[in-house]
Amino acid sequence: MDRLSAAFDQATSGASDDFPALLRRKGLLTPAADVSKIGDTSKWVQTESTTILAFKFAGGVLVAGDRRATAGNTVVYDRADKVLEIDRRSIMAIAGVPATAWEMARVLEHSFQFFRRTQLQEMSVDGKVRALSKLLRDNFGFAIQGIGMVVPIFATYDSAARLYFYDAMGAQFEVTEYAATGSGSPAVRGILHYENSWGKKPLHKLHEDEAVTVALRALDTAAESDTATGGVDRSGKIFPIIKIVSRDGITTMPERKIAALFKKTVA
Amino acid sequence: MIEEPYRWVEAIANRREYIETQLASGSPIAAVGFRDGILFLTVGRARQKVFEIYDRIAMGAIGHPGDIERLRMAAIELASTEGFTRSAADVSLRRLAYYSLSPLMKAAFEQIFGAPYLARMIFAELGTKPNDDFFLRLEYDGAIATNGGTSAQARQDFGVLSGTKNSTELMESFLKDAYLGSATLDRAFRTALDAWSVGRMASGDDAVKEMPSREQIVAHRKNELTLSSIEAAVLERNATAAIRYRSLSDDEIKSALGDSE
Repeated sequence: MDRLSAAFDQATSGASDDFPALLRRKGLLTPAADVSKIGDTSKWVQTESTTILAFKFAGGVLVAGDRRATAGNTVVYDRADKVLEIDRRSIMAIAGVPATAWEMARVLEHSFQFFRRTQLQEMSVDGKVRALSKLLRDNFGFAIQGIGMVVPIFATYDSAARLYFYDAMGAQFEVTEYAATGSGSPAVRGILHYENSWGKKPLHKLHEDEAVTVALRALDTAAESDTATGGVDRSGKIFPIIKIVSRDGITTMPERKIAALFKKTVA
Repeated sequence: MIEEPYRWVEAIANRREYIETQLASGSPIAAVGFRDGILFLTVGRARQKVFEIYDRIAMGAIGHPGDIERLRMAAIELASTEGFTRSAADVSLRRLAYYSLSPLMKAAFEQIFGAPYLARMIFAELGTKPNDDFFLRLEYDGAIATNGGTSAQARQDFGVLSGTKNSTELMESFLKDAYLGSATLDRAFRTALDAWSVGRMASGDDAVKEMPSREQIVAHRKNELTLSSIEAAVLERNATAAIRYRSLSDDEIKSALGDSE
């Protein structure tokens, strides 16, 4: 008997496949790069470099990122959004090559939804954290060829705020207080450590306005020495993206509010 | 056997009869458009019968759980890969049903050495305006019925699914008379529940042929709800999130039910 020539694959995955596996089966996702074929990577101009920070405060997790995208010494774009909502309670913030990072965020977003729709339950936080780890691992071949390095931060909320940072190979590290990534992160990490240890209050006790102030000051400091970080563009009125993950989901700080706080406490 | 056309027709007819018998006892599902979206409602014992397919698409089904699962997975895979490779706006119920699911179900139905899909499904896709809401019923043999208006029939803002033709027709006729597309959720909920009762009374061994009276509907519902529970989900038109599907909680169901008992 002939096989059914239906318009789609009959071998549905059931519970066994995750979404990236489904995409690969259908040939819709690039296979992982071959690690053995590393050529001359010196010619590549990368678009990357940025500053992303995240820390836990009284109202959940705050995630902030500047808006600049660069290629070498050139500023390509000053309104890039590097703090991406993956689902109702998860944020992935990215430092690295935008093309890879945005694609990764897209795969991740669809993975979580695909899981919920097919399995009729929400993916666990551990499952989500691991899903991103697997994507980074698959991307490692590109990363070491110097064309697709991505170093994200992942913030989510289950019974409490959870915050993770990753290395480019996919190792995940859960942090208790704060995380920073990107070219401006050394400065930011210094500030966050200082604030947490000797500031008026430790980070986890800050209220929303105080937390946003710390984030803005930290990004402004990073932009001071790192050309690849946009900080706050005072004339163009471009402000960082700041999002908060809490029990109630994700809120995006309105630009008006950031502008007002910036004027009052930073500028 | 397949070489003889007559035998093939006979085999198909037998198969149709078999499937219809299997589906006849299925608990009906009503999908009604209301002011703020689309409501799916059914009453059942245990198994979930209303599902999220994509951001704006929901599905309800009766039939064999295994077959429903295969079709549900297939629909989600198709919608998800389309939403991923193009965009969420390119995921369309019309394309999903006409180009993918219907040919598949027809092929399975007519290949008499293989097993057909023992399932009948109702889909709804939320439009930006109530007039764009799309309801579609998909049969085990691939046949499709929609709520679309033609020169002979006005557009309907509901879709129904039931085990028998008689039950389906009575539900449709009930909703045609009773239902207002501009209703609130509570009002839509109660009308959908009545439609379910009508559908239930019109199927099974002692099926009614005529539209039952108001009193009969209420009595039937009271009796049924002591044994089974209501399952309901909405696609919300004005939600800010991309995902519009939401199951109603027990509290919401209780409050929508109100004092109608």
